[in-house]
Amino acid sequence: MMLPRLRTSNVPPTLTSCPAIRPQPLIHSPRISREFSQTSCQQATLRRRKFYEWLNGPGAALRHPLPGSTNYLGAYDRFGNLVRARPGWQRKQNAEAEAANTEGEVPKGGEGTPEAQEAVDELEMSVRREEEQKKTEGNQDEDKLPPETAEDLRPFPLNKYFRSQPVLSEELREAIYQRVARDGASVSLASVEFGVSNERVGAVVRLKQMEKEWIAEGKKLAAPYSKAVLEMLPTTPYIDPSRPENKGKRPITHEAINDLIVHPATRQQLFVPVSESRQFTRVDAGKAFDNNLLPADERIPHPELVLAERELVSGLSFQERKNLAEERIVKQQEKKKEEQRRREELKKVQTVSGRRWDFVFQDVSVENVGRDGRSPKGVGWRYGFPHEDRKKGQVKIPTKVEA
Amino acid sequence: MVLRIRLARFGKRHAPFYNIVVAHARTARNSKPLEVLGTYDPIPQPPRPGDSKGRPWKEIKLDSARARYWVGVGAQPSDTAWRLLSMVGILEPKYRVREVKQQVIKADSAAKSLIPPKSSTTRSASEEVVEA
Repeated sequence: MMLPRLRTSNVPPTLTSCPAIRPQPLIHSPRISREFSQTSCQQATLRRRKFYEWLNGPGAALRHPLPGSTNYLGAYDRFGNLVRARPGWQRKQNAEAEAANTEGEVPKGGEGTPEAQEAVDELEMSVRREEEQKKTEGNQDEDKLPPETAEDLRPFPLNKYFRSQPVLSEELREAIYQRVARDGASVSLASVEFGVSNERVGAVVRLKQMEKEWIAEGKKLAAPYSKAVLEMLPTTPYIDPSRPENKGKRPITHEAINDLIVHPATRQQLFVPVSESRQFTRVDAGKAFDNNLLPADERIPHPELVLAERELVSGLSFQERKNLAEERIVKQQEKKKEEQRRREELKKVQTVSGRRWDFVFQDVSVENVGRDGRSPKGVGWRYGFPHEDRKKGQVKIPTKVEA
Repeated sequence: MVLRIRLARFGKRHAPFYNIVVAHARTARNSKPLEVLGTYDPIPQPPRPGDSKGRPWKEIKLDSARARYWVGVGAQPSDTAWRLLSMVGILEPKYRVREVKQQVIKADSAAKSLIPPKSSTTRSASEEVVEA
């Protein structure tokens, strides 16, 4: 066959273009004049027109995010009006807005958090209510925006059930890092204090450490980017207890910290027949799923919180509870030290695995025998010393068996 | 005189225990050596409590720096001592019967599984002939 190969530029655009832009009128002249170009037809289609209409009309409000607020589609209606604003509300000029922002600086995102967590206790609720009140008081004299509602935290208008969750604010992250790195608080303690999960505290500390290292090395950080993104996200503010206006306030919890992590072994449904006379506790339930599975009470991230609450209910005084807690901490630290010691000891020895057993090499020093070579500290069986096993009072029956 | 790194048996009947010693080759086994480099307990101990693998183990104490020195100045390890010293990388391993056996088995099975491509070899051979 002598038919030339079909080039893509020769194929009519109806074949190559995607179905979304097919109904446009077929005008060949621009294509012919620009045969080298792969770009699809530059004609103004209905969709394109509509897109520009939206961009210059309702979408224009999204171009410059409101200061101290999220910038989600869900906050605006079809005509580009802010849903939560009062009917007469007008967007201020930039300078004015900034001035207003500096004079009435309120930690943003405090209003963003409550919907995220169902389990907020009373004290915290009151703190938040106060904050909101303060905000509404400020609103009366000026035309400020009401706080964001749950509707405003939906970035995807078609997915009503997705709510944007708050992230840690920069100050809170810094505070967490300082608490762990400078004050030497343990991760779990910092987690309880700030209401941030153990994993997140660990991640914050690691990343902050890296950030400091980068700054020390003189690397350039993408600070404007992170600032811009954080301005458009709901954040959990940091309540600095050292400030006078924050006296008696508790930090706003970022997330539920004591949630039980779902263990893969517990994903199956189990029916375990148990006699009525038998007590079946959570420990037994854990064992029923997997022999190595700890009971739920021990798998939660902060079992000490449960213990503290239990002591409170049992009616112990504050001093007693404090003493108990301190004892627990001391015990925990000792355990950790012991583990560390054991790990270091294991590091000192060198293990060579054989077919049936391991050969454990421990490094010693020949110097230990001393200059005359008779010190009992020296390695090995000693020369020139009689055995003492025939002496009186030598117990040969083992008194202890290591299991 | 030749220096040897060898084992000196101590311990009781059915409970051997060895000193790893540097001694002159012609001295008695348990005579006082030049230096005691370490010990070797050949009786496997039950797995340690913290051990996750649960394997029995044999304890060897060794001053490896000193052992290196003696090897460096020409001390000749006995076969057993060679085996122990080669485990920590002081000497090149010499006695690798099991490994060698396994290598032989592997090579045998590989040779069996290989199907000689008869046609291609003949053709290439003929081509070579033509070229030549």
